[in-house]
Amino acid sequence: MGFVAEEAGVPVEWTPFWPIPPRLTFAQNLVRLWHNPKWNERLFINTCAERLFENNFDNNDDFYVEEIARRLLNAIHTGQVSIPDGARFMAFRIKVIYTETLAANVMGQVIDEVFMTSSLYPLIRQGAN
Amino acid sequence: MTLELAVRVAEIFLGLALFQQSLEFLRGFGLEKKIALVRALLAVFLMMGIYSVWVESLLLITSIVLIKRFRGPYNGGSDTMSILVLMCLWLYHIAPSRWWQEIALGYLALQLTISYFQAGWVKVVNPEWRSGKALGEVFAFTAYPVSESLRALAGKPRKLFIASWVVILGELLFPLALLNKTALIIALSFAACFHLANAILFGLNRFFWSWLAAYPILMWLQERIAL
Repeated sequence: MGFVAEEAGVPVEWTPFWPIPPRLTFAQNLVRLWHNPKWNERLFINTCAERLFENNFDNNDDFYVEEIARRLLNAIHTGQVSIPDGARFMAFRIKVIYTETLAANVMGQVIDEVFMTSSLYPLIRQGAN
Repeated sequence: MTLELAVRVAEIFLGLALFQQSLEFLRGFGLEKKIALVRALLAVFLMMGIYSVWVESLLLITSIVLIKRFRGPYNGGSDTMSILVLMCLWLYHIAPSRWWQEIALGYLALQLTISYFQAGWVKVVNPEWRSGKALGEVFAFTAYPVSESLRALAGKPRKLFIASWVVILGELLFPLALLNKTALIIALSFAACFHLANAILFGLNRFFWSWLAAYPILMWLQERIAL
């Protein structure tokens, strides 16, 4: 996710959405076995990103872009993601990470590319519904 | 296990799975939150065995609404399995005779068995799965590991190789468990542990509860075909 103060701005710094924790305790794992809404929403966002990638921006892709944006904006508005002071717009980008093709038992170089960058979304309470 | 008992236990487990999913959706917003409230209540009725056919009909309708809302399942295979179990239990209740009831639940048991075998087959024909590389890549850079500490497993090729083959063989051999009751209990325990591991390592908690709901039907089928 990237943030800017002006509509004409371009984010210079990108932060991962809900980065994974360094480690989880046994008790945390136990709770998450029954109740893990944040992670499942993260998986759904991942599914939307995969569908965008597979469809290569064909028809209906607006749905997936808007679905991701709605969820990111909702996370911001509900205080689950902190934003920099003065930020008035949010954008997101999707990266595709894969390895170069090598033999079946050799892990190749990891390639990390930006696949798409969204337009800017105003940080008002429109993502909540 | 009698047919009636298998259905009752499956309904309790499915109710638990649907209640768990609904609780997670309650944290969401918009339509999904409203539907989750209704489904949570219906899931409680399902567990209690109240008006089963009506409750299952409403759960099916709301499942279709959710699929339309998300343009596919929200949580992949776990939603698909929940709907399959739900549909087969619903068909059991509306079936005109015992024979059709058995057909409906036999279909569910068959799908469950095929789901494991097919997953094993897809892996065994893939050289990257056979070498352990595919699992290594999952830990190395995909979005699935639930903590950074798990990424270190990508650097343990021997463990990944063994784990890959345990999963492949477990899935491929699963259908053979239908031949014997003890073998089936062992196979279902293995499968439940596999789903538990996926929940702990990759956060796929909904799969654990959804698949569990179908196990009683498989136990019924094993006894049915053994007769």
